[in-house]
Amino acid sequence: MTEWFDLDQDDEHAISAFMSRVANLRVPDLGSRTPDPAELWCKAKLLARWEAERRASRPLDIMQPIEIAGGLIAAGLLLYWSIPYL
Amino acid sequence: MGRLDEATFAAFHARTARALRAYVYRVVGNASDADDIVQEAFLRMLRADVPANTEEHLRRYLYRVASNLVVDRWRRRRHEMGEERILTEPASPRPRYEDDAAVATIFAELKPRDRALLWLAYVEGESHEEIASSLGVGRRGVKVMLFRARRRLRDLLQARGLLVSS
Repeated sequence: MTEWFDLDQDDEHAISAFMSRVANLRVPDLGSRTPDPAELWCKAKLLARWEAERRASRPLDIMQPIEIAGGLIAAGLLLYWSIPYL
Repeated sequence: MGRLDEATFAAFHARTARALRAYVYRVVGNASDADDIVQEAFLRMLRADVPANTEEHLRRYLYRVASNLVVDRWRRRRHEMGEERILTEPASPRPRYEDDAAVATIFAELKPRDRALLWLAYVEGESHEEIASSLGVGRRGVKVMLFRARRRLRDLLQARGLLVSS
């Protein structure tokens, strides 16, 4: 149990009593919104797989615009060098 | 325990979900939000692939995630609604202590961080170290924060005439 900074002992008793009242308050039952562990497990695995796929494809996503830009620059240079021969 | 497998997780869920939900519900004050936070906390724990050395270690991790989600939610709501409105919720007119709703109302008047601290200390019976681990804050900070939370609760009880000022 926790050691406290000092409060008056009566205050401390009152707070303890109040907190035991809070602990015993009714909590609404688990609703249908709460998934069971099997569902949570599947969802977590699915999310982890998506995350892994996204991580794996990230270099490709980064490279794609670089490839396009490189291609456009190369095409531009080819055009520029070939203009005198046209 | 090693890495979690599905059966171990199911057993862990069965032992912790109800207590975690009670904690989150009491701090958040809303069943629907509590369900969302509990679900998200379990999902984050699973996705983080926390080494499950002991069940206690997992439990601390779960409570830390849930506590962070509670605080995030509170900050978001405060941003949406404006600080004034959240911090100056109208106090209900002198509820009677015998009434459960009154106890809930008084507790709800504390800030979420105070509610979390008080719950972990008094209901879960956690030590300063354990609370620090559950909330992801320093141990010294917990001592001070907990003292302030208790003082604020005492002031609330005094203001309602439920505690004779010493």
